[in-house]
Amino acid sequence: MSRTKITAAIAAAALLALTGCGANAGATSAAGDDFPKKGKSIDLIVAFSSGGAVDTAARLVQPVLEKELGTNVEVINKPGAGGQIGYTQLTSAKPDGYTIGATGSPSVVVSPLDPSRGAKYTRDSFQPLGRQVIDPAVIAVQPDSPYKTLKELLDAAKANPKSLTASTTGLQTGEHFALAQIQETTGAEFAPVHFSEGASQATTAFLGKHVDILVANVSDVTDLTKQNKARVLGIMTAERSPSLPDVPTFKESGYDVEAGTARGYSAPAGLPDAVAKKLEAALQKAIEDPEVVKKMNDLGLQTSYLSGKDYQTFWAAQEADFKKVLPLVQKKD
Amino acid sequence: MDTLNELLNGFAAALTWQNLIFAFLGCLLGTVIGVLPGIGPVAGVALLIPLTLNMDPTGSIIMLCAIFYGTAYGGTITSVLLNTPGEAASAITTIDGHAMTLMGKAGAALTIAAIGSFVGGTIATLGLVAAAKPLGELGLLVGPPEFFALMVVGISLLVALAGKSMVKALISGALGLLISMVGIDPVAGAPRFTFGMDRLLDGVSFVAVIVGVFGLSEILSYRKGESTVVHAPGFRSLLPTGKEWRRSAPSMARGTGIGFGLGLIPGMTGSVASLLSYGAEKKFSKHRNELGKGAVEGVAGPETANNAHANAALIPLFTLGIPASPTIAVLMGAFLQQGLTPGPTLFTEHSEIAWAIIASLFIGNLLLVLLNVPLVGLWTSILRVPAPILTALILLFMVIGAYTINFSVFDVFVMIGFGLLGLALRHLEIPLAPMVLTLVLGPLMERSLRESLEISQGDFSIFLNRPISLVLIILGVLIICSPLLKLRKPKALMDDPEA
Repeated sequence: MSRTKITAAIAAAALLALTGCGANAGATSAAGDDFPKKGKSIDLIVAFSSGGAVDTAARLVQPVLEKELGTNVEVINKPGAGGQIGYTQLTSAKPDGYTIGATGSPSVVVSPLDPSRGAKYTRDSFQPLGRQVIDPAVIAVQPDSPYKTLKELLDAAKANPKSLTASTTGLQTGEHFALAQIQETTGAEFAPVHFSEGASQATTAFLGKHVDILVANVSDVTDLTKQNKARVLGIMTAERSPSLPDVPTFKESGYDVEAGTARGYSAPAGLPDAVAKKLEAALQKAIEDPEVVKKMNDLGLQTSYLSGKDYQTFWAAQEADFKKVLPLVQKKD
Repeated sequence: MDTLNELLNGFAAALTWQNLIFAFLGCLLGTVIGVLPGIGPVAGVALLIPLTLNMDPTGSIIMLCAIFYGTAYGGTITSVLLNTPGEAASAITTIDGHAMTLMGKAGAALTIAAIGSFVGGTIATLGLVAAAKPLGELGLLVGPPEFFALMVVGISLLVALAGKSMVKALISGALGLLISMVGIDPVAGAPRFTFGMDRLLDGVSFVAVIVGVFGLSEILSYRKGESTVVHAPGFRSLLPTGKEWRRSAPSMARGTGIGFGLGLIPGMTGSVASLLSYGAEKKFSKHRNELGKGAVEGVAGPETANNAHANAALIPLFTLGIPASPTIAVLMGAFLQQGLTPGPTLFTEHSEIAWAIIASLFIGNLLLVLLNVPLVGLWTSILRVPAPILTALILLFMVIGAYTINFSVFDVFVMIGFGLLGLALRHLEIPLAPMVLTLVLGPLMERSLRESLEISQGDFSIFLNRPISLVLIILGVLIICSPLLKLRKPKALMDDPEA
């Protein structure tokens, strides 16, 4: 037993040395003028598993960040608990600029709002550095559905509440909030079916006609629309999406609903100003890099940069929106 | 034509030098695992998952699949040369395989086994190509209620077939379900059975559990064996005579059929396929009186069946998302960790990856023949390493493997804890397979159950109102009740060490 422990310790030490993910020791100068120190790498924590949308975006900006900052940037995946594990790690890191993270809503906004989740962070624990994308929510019906317009669909749901099932990618996800915001604003109530596996499961169930309505992000439905497997009735943003030019916004149809997921990058709160400025400038370069924007477009994702300060404002507004409908998305059983 | 195009694109992707290297490495590692006594395919594949976590999905799955059927080859080598099967599915091959070695025909036996495995594996993969599209279309009919019912059938089959006692199989299955419940509730997001530990929020690490239960417990129950010095057969004796080829052909055909058929049925393992194939040779082959005395049919049949089974068992996984055996369940865990959900969506969502993997199965089968025939000498020399050193190395791998999943020492202790649990289960003769299956399927079952109830808004009759799900549920109930109905199990299953 003790031998196994020693072996484990040796293996652990060797691997730590190899991967270089030891703790960031060393004092930081208060001003942060010399940030980043040569040879000291920056950890970019992604709170979701590799291969997902958040991870893909982070790995696209990573090389440009390295170039701009002149030091190594390591993407580290800390998936689990709907992002809570990674966010906890990000907010408990030293605010010295050597740890930053990808932050996505609703996950980062919602987890501190629900006391039952026991999150150790709030919105004030983060220092937003810049927003990269927004992926608006859309609502779609089967191609042979009798509902031709958003109004017809919402009126049907109003007449018979919960008679139509609608997919989400899990409790308190972007889609679930979108449904709650629709209910809050228009009074139309659908019966949510949570596919916690994610968008692919939800889409399959929709294609097999096991659920009536598909609630998803623009990037999920662009292909389905092309193949005529879904009819998108409305998009929950201020303006029409370039990937779905024929789909009217909720606003055009007379409903004031905006919902969707947004993703950006943040640091633990309390960065020295000089460090924050450098990181923000590098992130803006990386997010707006034409090559990165093009690759994001190929994934059906609309780059929509906001500076750290504006991202903070956007975040606060989202929190207010979510707080309003929180009772609607909490499990009542 | 469409399928052919996609397959050709898959070949284009699988033939990139990185993916070829991954397939080659997988075959190599799989063969080593097959050769080493004490690590079966289940623990072997689980052990190597951490290695592949940071690779791209295509490469990592290609490698793991190659490891998986590589083990089906590797076990043969020791069966033939040393009379000790490297893994359960090759146990029956020892009878005629080793007898051939004693007659100086070891090379011929190994070559026949390799070619037979290639034939079986390739034909089964062709079956996968043919089945992928139609079954994928069918897959859309499988909504949450049908999926839940399918899981019920899969688990009840496994419980009914595992070992001698259904009660013990049920205990094992229930343990797996219980472990799979730890962590955040997938629907309501509330922590379950975490005892206030943040470490458990994400559940118990699947790889650590499998490596512990299957690998570590095997090593712990390992008795010191004699280390035999083996001489690799000279190259000239590697080639079978024309007569031996002619005698093998019908056995290979039968083996392919048996392995393929059983591969489609959840709960059947490679051992069952090879045992039944041997039984078939006893009944049908022209030289049945020579079986047991070094008849080439006794090698050709089971070895072909074993690999046909290994590749055919991927069909239900790829098309319906149902693992047919414990090893496939582990493979499925790897798919899920890579963000790929096996099942009908695999071909719609990630069709390039799916076809690249299928193409790599053909390549892998070919690589294995090339690896195995000339390198027999190398494989056998592994066994010359003294047992204590070999065991220590394997233990080291297990600890590193468990540690590298999340870089957490906690997982190492989980692995050790489950190793002790596995040892206890072995002593109590509780089969381990049901536990692994429920461990992987538990969360999926729970999700599909809850999704179904959300669709029906809490009405349980949804499982009985839908024809497909009704038929499946009835089937599951019948399987569980089969001992009451005095249905006899095939004897082969009673002594299946893998189940």
